Amino acid sequence: MRIKKGGIMRKRGITLCSLLLVGLSLVLTACGSGGKKIVIGTQNYTEPKIIAEMYKALIEDRTGLTVEIKPDLASSKVVIEGMRNNELHMATLYTGEVFNGYFEVEQTKDREKVLQQAQQGFSEHYQLKWFDPYGFENTYAFTVRKEVAQKYNLQNVSDLKPYADTMRIGVDNTWLERESDGYRAFQKTYGFQFKEAFPMQIGLVYEAVANEEVDVVLAYTTDAGLKQYDLQTLRDDKQFFPPFDASPVVREETLKEYPELEEIVSLLIGKIDADTMTELNYYVDVEHRSEKEVAVEFLRQLGLLE
Amino acid sequence: MKALDLFGGSYADFLRERYPDILRATAEHLGISGISVAAGCIVAIPIGIVLARHPIPWLQSVIFSIANIFQTIPSLALLAILIPIFGIGTKPAVFALFLYSLLPILRNTLAGLQSVDKSVLESARGMGYSAAQQLWHIQLPLAFPYMMSGIRMTTVYVISWTTVATLIGAGGLGDLIFTGIGVNKNELIFTGAAAAILLALLVDFILGNLEKWVMRKTGTTKSDTTISY
Repeated sequence: MRIKKGGIMRKRGITLCSLLLVGLSLVLTACGSGGKKIVIGTQNYTEPKIIAEMYKALIEDRTGLTVEIKPDLASSKVVIEGMRNNELHMATLYTGEVFNGYFEVEQTKDREKVLQQAQQGFSEHYQLKWFDPYGFENTYAFTVRKEVAQKYNLQNVSDLKPYADTMRIGVDNTWLERESDGYRAFQKTYGFQFKEAFPMQIGLVYEAVANEEVDVVLAYTTDAGLKQYDLQTLRDDKQFFPPFDASPVVREETLKEYPELEEIVSLLIGKIDADTMTELNYYVDVEHRSEKEVAVEFLRQLGLLE
Repeated sequence: MKALDLFGGSYADFLRERYPDILRATAEHLGISGISVAAGCIVAIPIGIVLARHPIPWLQSVIFSIANIFQTIPSLALLAILIPIFGIGTKPAVFALFLYSLLPILRNTLAGLQSVDKSVLESARGMGYSAAQQLWHIQLPLAFPYMMSGIRMTTVYVISWTTVATLIGAGGLGDLIFTGIGVNKNELIFTGAAAAILLALLVDFILGNLEKWVMRKTGTTKSDTTISY
């Protein structure tokens, strides 16, 4: 069908070029892994990415280490597995994650007890140091448009029950599958289900509910979309969701290798409350500033960076 | 069965427990793929026929360039770009995949029609066939295998690309794959991927048999065509 021009000489030339390219890329990859590097992994939403940029700025400012950020990992579970495999050294995780099937846990909704279990359990089974919290919680919240909340007088999640079979709900990609705090468990606790559930990238749920493409969504409480679209969250009256306090988590081996990191990581403990975190998320998601710029500005305000 | 012990001996249980979800995802997946390719055929085939009958070189290259651009945009990017217009869910997914399917179907339709031996058409004209009759009785049957190969290839691609539609809320087998990644359940990832592969193979098989049936009905055999692969 097509006449090959050049024949054998062209073929040899192509083979040679491809071998050179492969060889070159191998050499370049080897060069990259030479220096002392800390890898911070983040989930696929803005909040942990801003915090990762904060740590990158602090670590690179105060030590000779370089920091690489691996963003957009599919879930906290992927991040934890990444840290276990020594592909990531640091991350931001939420205490409620402890119920997601890592090790035996005692079922409790008590904030202190959940934190303790996270700190003990992840150290014992995963050799990860789970530091004390930053000062904010980012949990799930059922969210509706303000008009809908007013029309049906919705304040608690239970108030959705009589209308749920006509409502479509938008959720993130994993909630339908999560064992202890997912859709199946939700149905057992609250005793109702929705007409249809649409999993999607979490960033899209706010627009989706604001544009009436779905009637209710399961939002993350510190996300900017709540403020941006002026949405109403409903109270978890049956206390279905566990606490989700955010903390820095670092591989114990990494802390042994670089003991100076312990103090640097601790710099942010207790320094970020929920309102502050939501505001930082807002700067990035709504005002479209970069995570790095917002992180550095915040550190300067705290006097942790010049 | 030993093979099903892959995921800790419970894959059979997993399938038994989750088959409604798996079937639902497969049905959604088939729906999105099927409608996109069907729409692609409805638009691309007539355009191909028109271009074959009235060859205008500059128009042909403009149309091909546009279709080619749609093919080159990464699928997820195209889905995201369409959200402000179509919202989220199946509508932008179907439209994006429809745009993808245009080029292969158009190109194969045109090539198939153009490859019909001119002398065959000449003798048909000599025998009193009108242009429309030439098209219907000679060109389309002879071009059919070529068109079908375009449709089959496109369908397989579209079934594969539909897996990312879950990120914009369109559902489909991508649900199983992405959720599986997020909750670290390999059986979900495997099932989603395997179902998509099986779906593509099955559809390809059916279309292949459809092709043979049509060729039998119109009395053409492979040797009648002047197209060589």
